[in-house]
Amino acid sequence: MISPVFAVGELDGLFRWLNELLVSIGLPQPWQDVIMYAALSATVFGLLALIALFLVWWERKIAAHIQQRFGPMRVGWHGWYQTVMDALKLLQKEDIRVATRDKVVFFWAPVICFVAAFSAYVCMPFGRGLIVADLNIGILYIMAVTTFTVISLLMAGWGSNNKYALLGGMRSAAQVISYEVPMVVSLLAVILYVGSLSMVDIVESQSGWFNWFIFRVPFGPIAFVTYTVAAIAEANRTPFDIPEAEQELVAGYNVEYSGMKFAMFFLAEFINMFTVSAIAATVFLGGWNGPWLPSWVWFMGKTLSMVFLLMLVRWTYPRLRVDQLMEFAWKFLVPVTFANLILAGILKYLGYWE
Amino acid sequence: MGDEVVALEYEKMIDFTSASINFELIYSEISLLVAAFLILLTAFQRHLARLAPLVALVGIAVSFYFALQQWGNQMSGFFGMITCDDFGTAFKLLFLVVAALTLLIAHRFLIVKRIGSPEFYALLLVSTMGMMVMANTTDLLVMFLGLEIMSVPLYVMAGYARRSLASNEAGIKYFIMGAFASAFLLLGIAFVFGASGTTDLRQIVADYSFIVSNFQNYLYAGAALILIGFGFKIAAVPFHAWVPDVYQGAPTPVTAFFSVGPKAAGFAVMLRVFLFGFEQMGMLTELFWVLAVLTMTVGNVLALRQDNVKRMLAYSSIAHAGYILVALCVGGNDAISAAVFYLLAYAMFNLGAFAVIVLLETRSGCKSDFSELSGLSSSAPYLSAVLALFMFALAGFPPTVGFLGKFYIFSAAIKSGYILLTVIGVMNSFLSVYYYLRIVKTSYFEKFEGTFAPAPYSPAIMVVLFITVIGTLGLGFFPDRVLEFSQSALFAFL
Amino acid sequence: MQALEPGIVFWILAVVILVSGFLVVTLRNMFHCALCLILCLFAVAGIYVLLEAEFLAAAQVLIYVGAVAILIVFTVMLTSDLASESLIQHNENGTIAFVVCALFAIGVPYLIKNTGVWMPAKGELISDNVGSIGKYLMTDFMLPFELVSVLLLAALIGAIVLARKERS
Repeated sequence: MISPVFAVGELDGLFRWLNELLVSIGLPQPWQDVIMYAALSATVFGLLALIALFLVWWERKIAAHIQQRFGPMRVGWHGWYQTVMDALKLLQKEDIRVATRDKVVFFWAPVICFVAAFSAYVCMPFGRGLIVADLNIGILYIMAVTTFTVISLLMAGWGSNNKYALLGGMRSAAQVISYEVPMVVSLLAVILYVGSLSMVDIVESQSGWFNWFIFRVPFGPIAFVTYTVAAIAEANRTPFDIPEAEQELVAGYNVEYSGMKFAMFFLAEFINMFTVSAIAATVFLGGWNGPWLPSWVWFMGKTLSMVFLLMLVRWTYPRLRVDQLMEFAWKFLVPVTFANLILAGILKYLGYWE
Repeated sequence: MGDEVVALEYEKMIDFTSASINFELIYSEISLLVAAFLILLTAFQRHLARLAPLVALVGIAVSFYFALQQWGNQMSGFFGMITCDDFGTAFKLLFLVVAALTLLIAHRFLIVKRIGSPEFYALLLVSTMGMMVMANTTDLLVMFLGLEIMSVPLYVMAGYARRSLASNEAGIKYFIMGAFASAFLLLGIAFVFGASGTTDLRQIVADYSFIVSNFQNYLYAGAALILIGFGFKIAAVPFHAWVPDVYQGAPTPVTAFFSVGPKAAGFAVMLRVFLFGFEQMGMLTELFWVLAVLTMTVGNVLALRQDNVKRMLAYSSIAHAGYILVALCVGGNDAISAAVFYLLAYAMFNLGAFAVIVLLETRSGCKSDFSELSGLSSSAPYLSAVLALFMFALAGFPPTVGFLGKFYIFSAAIKSGYILLTVIGVMNSFLSVYYYLRIVKTSYFEKFEGTFAPAPYSPAIMVVLFITVIGTLGLGFFPDRVLEFSQSALFAFL
Repeated sequence: MQALEPGIVFWILAVVILVSGFLVVTLRNMFHCALCLILCLFAVAGIYVLLEAEFLAAAQVLIYVGAVAILIVFTVMLTSDLASESLIQHNENGTIAFVVCALFAIGVPYLIKNTGVWMPAKGELISDNVGSIGKYLMTDFMLPFELVSVLLLAALIGAIVLARKERS
């Protein structure tokens, strides 16, 4: 059974207090655990919601500055709570439901998308001890649950009964399946070296001065670059955003969604971007490791740098064509990542940089 | 309390695994794969792609050499997953011969029908490799994988003529039925594993009494499901429905391969599983008795009314599976060597018959109906003589090898006291004479009315015909060496 | 995870598997069938988690939900006839199939119920099951593992041969 780790670092005290409170009330054991889990997930969920709101604002600012604009400036200092207001607006908006939609599918698509985006954080090491559950299949679990995003996009495309939405959904499925291969294989190079799938083990094997995988081993930088490229595609962002290419498909799979449902897609997209960045930070950039500052600061710093990189890429590069996208994945990325994996295997076998 | 006893017994089980990773055992498989890779690597260049059949032939020859080296050696390796004995090696040699002959038959046909591409040969090699794996293991898991490696290329090869609707239908039908059969097989293996805690037949044999006393029903259910799975592959009767359409629709060289290769592989595995692994299971004899009678009779009766030669040969191949099932019913070393002999002989004359059909089909517009054969004796006397010879062999006339094959199987049956079964088998042979001789009659005594071009001569097919005629007649006159070969091709387990 | 009795979780998963599996073969909309298949496979992954085979569960989700099921959905979407038609999932052989399936459905529980002694698994479950799976794949099951790759290669060649444009 997946054993939960309640030792949540700096939050440890709070949770211990909650646990003692529950025990003193005299609740039976199962209910204690249920409430503890609920509190834990509420914490993570709240944190991620805040992060997502921040990322939306940040993206708008970065885009604006790259395009010689200011972006949102009115709501608060440099428009800092603009997205909060946007979210409130979306909440109040009418939930337009197309008459020809596929009712069940249309309803569940954003839900699945949202849940899939958040469930990856079960084993994300935010800091030393700051992890909900250190699964021994950690990174594999993240890869597995994030695949549900694809299904939700396909469902959204189908359920809308709109040809642009359908095209968007299909493109996204083709793209994500293709890019999942190089993404997982480039992570495998590191996993092979660490010898464990657990996120905590991966981070701990990178402790020390510049022991991060991107610097430490020759295959690290290659794997990092291929991972980043594949991750951009996985998150459906420019230059790989053909599933929602505005000029071709209006808005892709979510064209018929409005109000709260659209907000769920929108938030999930930013959460996904944060997820791929967090994986990159954990696997290649040493995760929470770093001198002087608290571990979670290092993690957030590295992750947000990755996010910044992804945003820069998005606003400075043009979009690829569908066939170019597929060719790039299968004819370039996949061979390179496999060659890299072989290199990692050889280096591990020869025993360098252990 | 019961649990403890079981646990103790479990500890006592004999450990058969030999932990060596011994590549010698799979040299012949590896050489086939290497040839397949070479073909795929050179496929994109036109002038190199033309060499594909040659590469494949060389691969088969090398593989044949390695298989011959193994003859007489009995070894187990790869942690007990591969077991090489003379039984397996005999089948290896058989598959390689079949693959080489199919390749020679196919070359001209594919070019004429414009469906030729180098991948065909790669698929053929991979499929052959799967058969070899099937025959050389005592592990059910590896058998299943071998079966799949054999089948997946076959699905594609059945649908290889993509412009032909019949070929597409054959591919789809074979694929769906094959996948269905695989599901049964896998479930059967799961049941056996549940009963015995192992997939290795040798361990099942060693612990048989223990397994049967505790998990008899599971073992029987598993054996039944495995039988269904293999029944599909060898086209035994309740599971034969796919055969006529697939045989008729698939490109004829592929049909030739179907009728011999997978069938022999299926029988190799069935002999190994049921006459070695589940030998002590009493019920099986009656089951195989019923299966054999059904398969022989239904195959022969349905073959009587066919107007298409390929379809007729499809039903005939069902009937022949019935004869070999007699050997499975009888059991014992005599029956096993008779079955090996029969499969070898059957490969010879059946491939020969198909080679003639392929040669005739390379004329444009031919669908290999019976009427197309009329007047063949005047337009191509030698060819029709050869065809007649193969038909006599299929019907089981002396002095062809077809007679000897049946003779050995039925004499083994009589020796073990299966008189009624033998009588039914012989009656069926007589029945089959009707439709085999119908071909001879059509080609010799009916006047040609159409406007077909004379049968073209292809050197490769001539070679095949030469080999198969030698095999059919020569082995029929001098059966000693083959008999010796098939008699030494017995299970030997370490 | 004492919070929820393993028994309850098991029953929930079992019901989900059975119901979604039934829907896969009865629903009239192909896309809904595919989605139910995904649900069914996901619930099977849940059973694996209950059996403490986390690696298997993740692999199940990654491969079946992430790749196989998506390809099925993709195929449904690309085949326009399949997508719009409401299909009938049974034919004239339905009765025979029902009898066979019913026999099987009765037979298996009967078998299980009539088994007196069960063979217990040898020893404790290894906690690091990822590592031990890796070890087994490189030792005892090396040959089957390699054979699977040959099988996949064959399937790959076959798919390409059947799907590519025909040369003139």
